Amino acid sequence: MSKSFFIDTTVCTACRGCQVACKQWKNLPAEITKNRGTIENPADVSFNTYKVVRMREEVIDGKLRWLFFPEQCRHCIEPPCLDTAGDKSAIFKDDATGAVIYTAKTKGLNAKEIIESCPYNIPRKGKNGALAKCDMCLDRVQNGLLPACVKTCPTGAMNFGERDEMLAIANKRLGEVKKISQAARLLDADDVRVIYLVAYNPELYHKFAVASVDNLGITRQTALAKMFRPVKNIASGLV
Amino acid sequence: MNVTRRGFIKISGATAAGIAVSGMGFDLSPVKAHALTLKTKDAKETTTICCYCGVGCGAIVHTGKDKGRVINIEGDPDHVINRGSLCSKGSALSQLAENKNRLTEPMYRAPNSKEWKKVSWEWALAEITKRVKATREATFTLKNEKGQTVNRTTAIASVGSAALDNEECWIYQALMRSLGLVYIEHQARI
Repeated sequence: MSKSFFIDTTVCTACRGCQVACKQWKNLPAEITKNRGTIENPADVSFNTYKVVRMREEVIDGKLRWLFFPEQCRHCIEPPCLDTAGDKSAIFKDDATGAVIYTAKTKGLNAKEIIESCPYNIPRKGKNGALAKCDMCLDRVQNGLLPACVKTCPTGAMNFGERDEMLAIANKRLGEVKKISQAARLLDADDVRVIYLVAYNPELYHKFAVASVDNLGITRQTALAKMFRPVKNIASGLV
Repeated sequence: MNVTRRGFIKISGATAAGIAVSGMGFDLSPVKAHALTLKTKDAKETTTICCYCGVGCGAIVHTGKDKGRVINIEGDPDHVINRGSLCSKGSALSQLAENKNRLTEPMYRAPNSKEWKKVSWEWALAEITKRVKATREATFTLKNEKGQTVNRTTAIASVGSAALDNEECWIYQALMRSLGLVYIEHQARI
C-alpha cells in the first residue's frame, strides 16, 4: 500500500504552519533571511529547509490573486534522482510508502548531477557534501502518525494517506474547483506522490510547479553515467 | 517450528496485547527494513494551550525522560478548537523553552539609557516592588468625579507577555487587578 499527499492550494492560506512544523520535528536550524519585498521566506528550499510556501501576486482576469504553493519533494513514482544516483545506499525508495529517501551516503554522489536530474529542482547540498530534502516524515508514518506538515495544517490543504484515497479526494475536489476556475488541474498526478491542485495556470505559482522537459535537465554527463552504471544496480532497481 | 500449546498461547497473548496497544494510534508491529524510531518515543506527554493568539489552540508537549527538556510540541488532535493543527507560530512553540537565544536572566535598561545590562533577580524584583508601590501610592484613586468607588490607579499599565499561557495569564491579571490596574493587555488581544 503506497502513500501519497494531496495538497489543495485553493484552501492554503500560506500560514506556513507546515514549513515550521517540518523544521520543528526535524530539529533543523533557522535560516538567516532578509526582506526581499515579499513575505515568502526563506527564498528557496535548502539543506536545512525542506518545505517552502511559495507566494505569488498575479492579476488574473482583472482580479488580484495571491497564489500559494507549499513546495516540497514530490516523491516521484519513478524518481530520476534515484536513477541518476544508481546507488541504493545513498538514495532509495521505501517499499511500504514509496517515500524517496536520501541517506548520509549522498555525500559520495555528484550533487550537481542529482540536483539537475530533479524535474522539480528540490535536493540541496549541505556543507558536509551530503544532499537533503523531504523524507515524507518516514519515522512518523512508520509509527502510524501523519507527516508533521500534514498534521499541523489548519485548513485541510495538506492531506496524506493511501494513494488511491488521495487520488479520489483530489479528483472530487478538482470537480468542485473547476466550477469556479476552468483552468483548475492536478499537477503530474500520475507521476508523483505529492499531488497538487491548482486553480490557475501552474506556471504562475512557481517555475517548477509542474515537471517540464526544460526542467528535466538530464545532462549529457548524467546520460553517460547511466549508460555505464553497473548492471546489478539496474537489476536491483527493477525489483 | 515446534510450538507447544503453552508456547502458542504465549505467542497469541503477545499478539493480542500488540493489537490492544496499536488501537491507540501507534502501529507497534515490527518494521523490517529501515525501521525508524520516533524522537518522542518514551517521552512524557502534557497538554497545554498555545499562548500566542486568542484562538486558544491545544497542543501536546513531549518532554524527554532523561533531562526533562521539551523535545517536541505539536497540535492536540483531541482539542475541540484546532483538532491537531497549529499555525506557524504554534508549530514553533517548543522554541519558547528550547532556544539558545532565549534570555535566562533579567535585563535592565535605565531611563534614557541605550544599554541593557544583566541584573540579579533579587535586585530586579526589589526594584519593581519599590517602584510599583511608590507609583501606586502616589496615584491611587478611591472615588471618581461622580463619587463612585473605583479603587484604581491609571498611572501603571501592563502589557502581558506573549509567552504566557491561559493559566499564567489568569494569575497575572488577578495580581494586576488586586493592585488596582485598569490598563491590562496581553498579546492575545492585540
